[in-house]
Amino acid sequence: MTAAIVWALLVLGVAAPLLGVVGVLVGADVYDRLHFIGPGSIFGPAALALAIVIDEGPFSQAGLKSIVVAVLLLGLSPVLVSATARAAYVRERGSLALPSTPAETPPE
Amino acid sequence: MTAYFAAAAVLLAGLAPLIVFSVRASPPDGLVALNLGGTIATLVLMLLAEATQRQPFFDLAVVSAVLSFAGGLAYARFLERWL
Repeated sequence: MTAAIVWALLVLGVAAPLLGVVGVLVGADVYDRLHFIGPGSIFGPAALALAIVIDEGPFSQAGLKSIVVAVLLLGLSPVLVSATARAAYVRERGSLALPSTPAETPPE
Repeated sequence: MTAYFAAAAVLLAGLAPLIVFSVRASPPDGLVALNLGGTIATLVLMLLAEATQRQPFFDLAVVSAVLSFAGGLAYARFLERWL
């Protein structure tokens, strides 16, 4: 039973980043592609760390370090996605300012 | 143990299209591929450490997780104006 759970977690942990790869390759633009980093950085590390924890135990060196890796990736990846989106926007438009909207005309 | 080797090999194969894409695409798109590639490389290191039962190798995965983040941030900063 435990082996089956570990196998299932490994399959999930490998499939999520690979789906992210496919998404990055076929995405329409940079903002579209950024969405596909999410599954690979959330489900991938979490599933693989859980598989290792089930195999080795939560308080073994391998279990603890795999949890640290998963938490690091879970925490840092969104920051990196945000920084990349910001960089792409500034590169495209020259600044972070929103495009100016025409002033509203008062109702007559 | 074999399952971890197989998982690492499959993930490693997923890095190849990202490398080709990051070379051929525009710089912002390449940075997206680099970000995902850093995550996948970290996971591969973690899987290989478990597959070989060498506990200290997990440190490589921890360092890779932090450094791929720092590298991605540096690229993003330079990409805004200078690259």
